[in-house]
Amino acid sequence: MVRGGILVKHAAFNTSLLQYLACPLSKDPLRYCEKSQELVNDSLGVAYPIIDGIACLVPSRGRLIEKLPEDPKPYPDAGK
Amino acid sequence: MWSRELFCKAGKRILLPAPGEGAPVAAAQRLATRAAGEFSASGDEVGDRNADVFDRELKSKQRDRAAWFMHESDPILDTVTENLLDRLQDCKRMFPTALNLGGALDHVQRMLHGRGGIERLISMDTSVDMIGRSKRLAAMDGLTGEEAKRSALENMQIIADEEYLPFQAGSLDVVISSLGLHWVNDLPGAMSQCRTALKPDGLFLAAMFGGETLRELRIACTVAQLEREGGVSPRISPLAQVRDAGNLLTRAGFALPTVDVDEYTVRYPSAMELIEHLRSMGEVNAVRQRSLVMSRDTALATASIYQSMFGESDGTIPATFQVIYMAGWSPDISQKQPKRRGSATVSFKDLQTAFPPDAFSKTSDDPKSTSTTKSITELASESKERERTGQNESEETSGTTRLPSGSWFKLD
Repeated sequence: MVRGGILVKHAAFNTSLLQYLACPLSKDPLRYCEKSQELVNDSLGVAYPIIDGIACLVPSRGRLIEKLPEDPKPYPDAGK
Repeated sequence: MWSRELFCKAGKRILLPAPGEGAPVAAAQRLATRAAGEFSASGDEVGDRNADVFDRELKSKQRDRAAWFMHESDPILDTVTENLLDRLQDCKRMFPTALNLGGALDHVQRMLHGRGGIERLISMDTSVDMIGRSKRLAAMDGLTGEEAKRSALENMQIIADEEYLPFQAGSLDVVISSLGLHWVNDLPGAMSQCRTALKPDGLFLAAMFGGETLRELRIACTVAQLEREGGVSPRISPLAQVRDAGNLLTRAGFALPTVDVDEYTVRYPSAMELIEHLRSMGEVNAVRQRSLVMSRDTALATASIYQSMFGESDGTIPATFQVIYMAGWSPDISQKQPKRRGSATVSFKDLQTAFPPDAFSKTSDDPKSTSTTKSITELASESKERERTGQNESEETSGTTRLPSGSWFKLD
């Protein structure tokens, strides 16, 4: 992916961040799910996405994992 | 350019699901309010979740746009960041893990130069593009040889909201926020979460715009709107006052709070350049109660009123930026604590023996002055007598000073 003429590699999520990060709502530690590229809070049942290797820990972006996502709806600020 | 705001608002209405529909967004928000309610009831946090002054989504979009407009070096952001990071050098402690809250994100990253012993810098912002900019800056760091070895800074980025800080308790050494907290709705809550996330004896450093910022623009806007539209709507966001900054720090639970203020005056050729500069910093209005339309008449009237009221002799206009620098430490037993009431080891009696009252002529005929064992109530009644009798005498002779309690002592 090229931005502004500089090649930024599609970076993987930096797992050393896990020792600092917590769920923004309940401050529980998070579990990294590599397959779905999400950070999961098992006690609340919320999963936060990782976009381009950057964790997106905003509460409104959290996905409840009780329900299975039927089809991936585009988030409002995804395409600008 | 003002119509752009209208487009953004319209776009928002079309794309966002209506409240009640759209399972992920609405459900997550319900979860957020429920968890927030439970969390704040636990008694740890002292936030005020009813304050919803700023539209955070709009702010994040504005910052996205600013990420592309922002210049490499901006005079205000550079000065404020430099001033803030300087305070790190005043501490002997090393802070390996640092959190960089949004605002002048990449300025902090660029100007850090390893101060304060920071090894890991986690940059955090709600805006995706700002974080992308920070990531590009980290990738672009073309340091070679000596410099690379000296400033081995590990940069990490996350996207998060300051009001919902996603950090474990006691995980950070220092939290730096350079001009990032004045758009936060629940400032006491955000600062309280910072304090929880800090290790004991961790540092919280913040710079935010104070109440005097853009005073001239505020006045010009108000006058223009009163003239043209007959009413006033908030054009400048509400900003913290200096006197509130100390209260904020104490309310959040920080020990040893320090607040100081700096005012910077920047000159612009006209009001339009000022607005453009604010836009490039991402500091445009995001107050929920704002009026969405500004007519061209009012805008031009604002610019001309600004020029006439505040214009300098050379045609430029000044703009004030008042920055409040706050510093607080998370509580730790190693810090100095005030002593418990009643645990004094030195009494007023010792003060009397150190400065004997019979050395002064005024109290020589007082029969009680020869006795050295007095209670505090006796001393107080003595000083009241002296006050009554000594009213006609001069307040200060050479070398003697009057204490607030009314008793006199002489400085050697």
